[in-house]
Amino acid sequence: MSNARDYDLIIIGSGPAGMAAALLADRSGLSVLMLDDQPGAGGQVYRQIGPNSRNAKTFGFLGEEYFRGGDLAGKLEASGVDCIHQAHVWQITEDNEVFYSRKGAAASIRADFILMASGAQERPMPIPGWTLPGVMTVGAAQTLLKMSATGADGAVFIGTGPLFYLTIWQYLRAGFGVKAVLDTATAIPPAGAFRWILPALLQAGILAKGWAWRAEVRKRTSYQNGVRGVSLSGDGKLEKISFIDRLGKEREIKAGHAFLHQGVIPNVNLGMAAGLDYRWDEGQLCWRPVLDQHGQSSRKTVFVAGDGGGIAGASVAVTSGQLAAARIIRLGGKTPRGLPAFLRLRHWLNKAPRPFLDAMFRPPTDWIVPEDEKVIVCRCEGLTRGEIDQAAKMGVAGPNQLKSYCRAGMGRCQARMCGITVQHILAEHSGRPVRDLDYFRLRPPIRPVTVGELAMLAENDGQAI
Amino acid sequence: MGRQSSERVVIVGGGIQGCAAAYFLARAGWSVTVLEKDNIGRHASGANAGGVRRLGRDLREVPLSLAAMDIWKDLPAYIGEEAAAAFHPSFYMKVAIDDKGHGLGLDRIRMLENAGYQHEIWLSKRELKKRLPQLEGPLLGGVLVEGDGWAVPWRIVRGFAKAALDHGAEILEGCQVVQFSRHSSGVWKIETATGSLESDWVVNCAGAWAARLARKAGDLDFPLSAHAPMLAITERRAPVLPAVLGVLGHTLSLKQLDTGQFLIGGGVRATADLETDKAGLKIPEMATSIRLACQLLPGISVAGILRCWSGIEGYMPDDLPVIGMGGLPGLVHGFGFSAHGFQLGPGVGEVLADLVIARQTKVSLKPFCPSRFG
Repeated sequence: MSNARDYDLIIIGSGPAGMAAALLADRSGLSVLMLDDQPGAGGQVYRQIGPNSRNAKTFGFLGEEYFRGGDLAGKLEASGVDCIHQAHVWQITEDNEVFYSRKGAAASIRADFILMASGAQERPMPIPGWTLPGVMTVGAAQTLLKMSATGADGAVFIGTGPLFYLTIWQYLRAGFGVKAVLDTATAIPPAGAFRWILPALLQAGILAKGWAWRAEVRKRTSYQNGVRGVSLSGDGKLEKISFIDRLGKEREIKAGHAFLHQGVIPNVNLGMAAGLDYRWDEGQLCWRPVLDQHGQSSRKTVFVAGDGGGIAGASVAVTSGQLAAARIIRLGGKTPRGLPAFLRLRHWLNKAPRPFLDAMFRPPTDWIVPEDEKVIVCRCEGLTRGEIDQAAKMGVAGPNQLKSYCRAGMGRCQARMCGITVQHILAEHSGRPVRDLDYFRLRPPIRPVTVGELAMLAENDGQAI
Repeated sequence: MGRQSSERVVIVGGGIQGCAAAYFLARAGWSVTVLEKDNIGRHASGANAGGVRRLGRDLREVPLSLAAMDIWKDLPAYIGEEAAAAFHPSFYMKVAIDDKGHGLGLDRIRMLENAGYQHEIWLSKRELKKRLPQLEGPLLGGVLVEGDGWAVPWRIVRGFAKAALDHGAEILEGCQVVQFSRHSSGVWKIETATGSLESDWVVNCAGAWAARLARKAGDLDFPLSAHAPMLAITERRAPVLPAVLGVLGHTLSLKQLDTGQFLIGGGVRATADLETDKAGLKIPEMATSIRLACQLLPGISVAGILRCWSGIEGYMPDDLPVIGMGGLPGLVHGFGFSAHGFQLGPGVGEVLADLVIARQTKVSLKPFCPSRFG
C-alpha cells in the first residue's frame, strides 16, 4: 500500500520521548509524522501543555516540573513535524503500516521507521472493592486535575511511588482537601535500595524534590505509612476504607473517594501486538521490550523510547527519544543536526537514580495478587481471583491456555488491568517464576475499533484523516 | 473387529480430529497416545469460527457431514453435559443479496434434491423476511438448515480430549515429533522432543503440519498449503441474531454468541508461517466481509471490535480433506480440512478409529483418498 503519504518516520505518542525525537528528526531532514491519542501535545506527564492551552496560563499549581514540557511542545508546534492528534493507533503491520482510528473513521500510513513512544500505565492494584464507584487511580485523578482542574474534596490516597506524592502535592496546591494518605510502603526504604544510593546521588536534586513533596504531604495531611490489608467497601459506592496500620491495629476511615497507585509500568499492548520481543523485568515487576542502547527493538525498523521501554521518567524519556532519533537518522543515510552534546552521558546521568527508586518503591506482590478470592481480577469479564485459581488448579500452563477455562484477559482492555495479576496467580500455582510464563498473546486491534470504522477502511485508503 | 484391542496407536496432532480419534480409539480399548507439539486445540481447531454447519458442504462431503451431525446431536453422550453445553444449535442461513447469489442458492437446492438430500431448504424472500425480520438490504431469499449452529471450539476440543483421557488415552502436550519410521518388525518408532515411543499405528492429524509429517514417514508428498483464516470479535451487544448467517456468493460468516458478542469471519486468509507457528493478520482485508455484515445488520456498525485473530490451517488444492490409509502400512491420514473441518471433527474421529480398528468405515472415503493427487 505504498503511496505518496509515506513518511521516513512515524512517531506514536507526543510525550517527552516522542516530542524530543520528532524535533531532532525533523531538524535533520526526515519527514516525520506524529500520531497521538490526546487532543494536544504533551503525553501524560505534560498533558495539554501546548503553548495555547489554558493549562500553560492558569494551572500554576501543577508545579515547575510540569511546565518543563512547554518548551518541547512549543518547538514541536513551530517545527515541520506533521501532527495528527486524537489518532488511536491499533495496529502496526510487519511492513510498518500503521493503522489508526480518528473521529469515527480508520486510516493507515506507512513509514520506513517507527518510534513507539506510547508511554506507561499504572500498575493495577486489585484490592477488595477496587471496582466500586468512587475509587479510581491516582493517575486518573491527576489527569482530571490537568485537564480541567477538577478534583474531589476529602479523598483518600492509598499506595506509594513518586507519582503518588507528586499528585497529592498538586492536589493540595490546587486547593483540594485530602482526608488521608495511606502509604503502603514502610517509613524506612528496603535495605537493598541503598545499594543504589551512590548513583542516585548524582541526581540529588531529583531526590531532594521528591523528599520535599513527601515532607509537605506528611505535614499537611493525615498521613500513615506501613499500611497493610486495605479493603474498600460500601453500598453501591465507596463509603468505608478499612486497613491495618503500622502497629497492627485495624482501622477505618469513612470516605467517598479513594485514589490508588502502585507505580507505573510500560504499556505493552502495541509493541507486543507488533511482534516485538519482550522480557520480564523482575526489578520493575513488568514486561519491557528487548532494546539495544539506541532503543532499537527486535524488529530492526521499530524503535521504542520513553517509559514504554522501561520506566525511567520524563528526563530519560527525552534523552532516549534523542538517542533513538539519532540512530534512525543515521540508518536513513542522514546526519543528525543539533544533536545535544554529551547525549549518551546525559542519558546515563538521567537514568542514575532509577535503580534506587525502583528498589525503594517496588511493591510487594500482595498489592498485585489479592489474597481474598472474592476480589475481582479481570474487570472486563468480572472474574475473581478464586475463579482464576480454579482454572489454575485444572492445570492451566499460562495466560494463553486460560481462555479455554475462563475469559480472563479477553475483554475490552486486553489484559491491561489483569495481565500481571493473572500471571502471578498462575506462577504461584505452577511453582514457576513469573518470568518463565508466557504473557497474554496480544492481537490487534489493540484498542477497540468499531465495525463501522473497519468497514470504511478500504474506502478511506489513500487519505489521512 | 478382527483385531486385538491391545494394540498401540499414536495420534499426531491434538486438534479436534486427533482428539476425537483418540476418544473413539480409547473407547474401543486401544492404547492411545496423542502427541501435540503445542497444546490441545492451539491452532485451527481452537481458533476457528466454531461453525457447526452442514449447509453449503461440497456434495462429496455431505455424507461425512451428516454422520458427524449425528454425533453433535447426541454430544453429551460422548463428551459429557458440561463440554457439550458449548454447542449451541439454532439454524444456519445463507442469504442471497444479488442475482448471482440467488442463482447459486437455487442451483444448490436442485443439486442436493437430485442427490437425495433434504437437509437444506430454500426460503423465499417473504419466508426469509418472516424468519429474520432484523436483516436489512436487498434480500432475495436464502438457504436454510435447521439444527446447525455454533460451538465454542476450544471447549469442544478439550471435551473430546478429556473424554479420551477418561477412557485411558494419554495426551502429551509440548511434544513435537522429530523423526519417525517403520521398522521391519512392523512397529513405528517415533522420536519426539521429549523421548521416544513405539506404536503399531500412526494417525496423522497434524493439520497444516501434516504434509511435513507424511514426508518424515516417507509417504507421499502432499500438496498441502498453510494459511490463517481471520476472525474478528466485537464487544457485547443485546441479542438480535439467533441464526448463523452467511451470504451466497460472498465471504462472510456472522454469528452472535451467547455472550452477545458478534463473531465475524468468512475465511479471508492471512499468511501462516509453519517454522515460527506465527499467523499473520491483515485486518483491512476483512473490510469486505465486515462491510457486508454492516449492510445486513446496520446496528452492528457501532460495536467495537475487541480482537482479531487467525489460526493456522492446512488447505488442499480441491478444498477437500485427506482421510484414509497412507502409502505405508499402519499409517492413517486425517488432515487438510481447508477451513471447514470443525463440524466434521467428531465424524472424522469415528471414521479414523474405524479405519484403524476395522479397516472399513460407514461412509465412503473415496473423495478424500490420500493418493488422489498422485
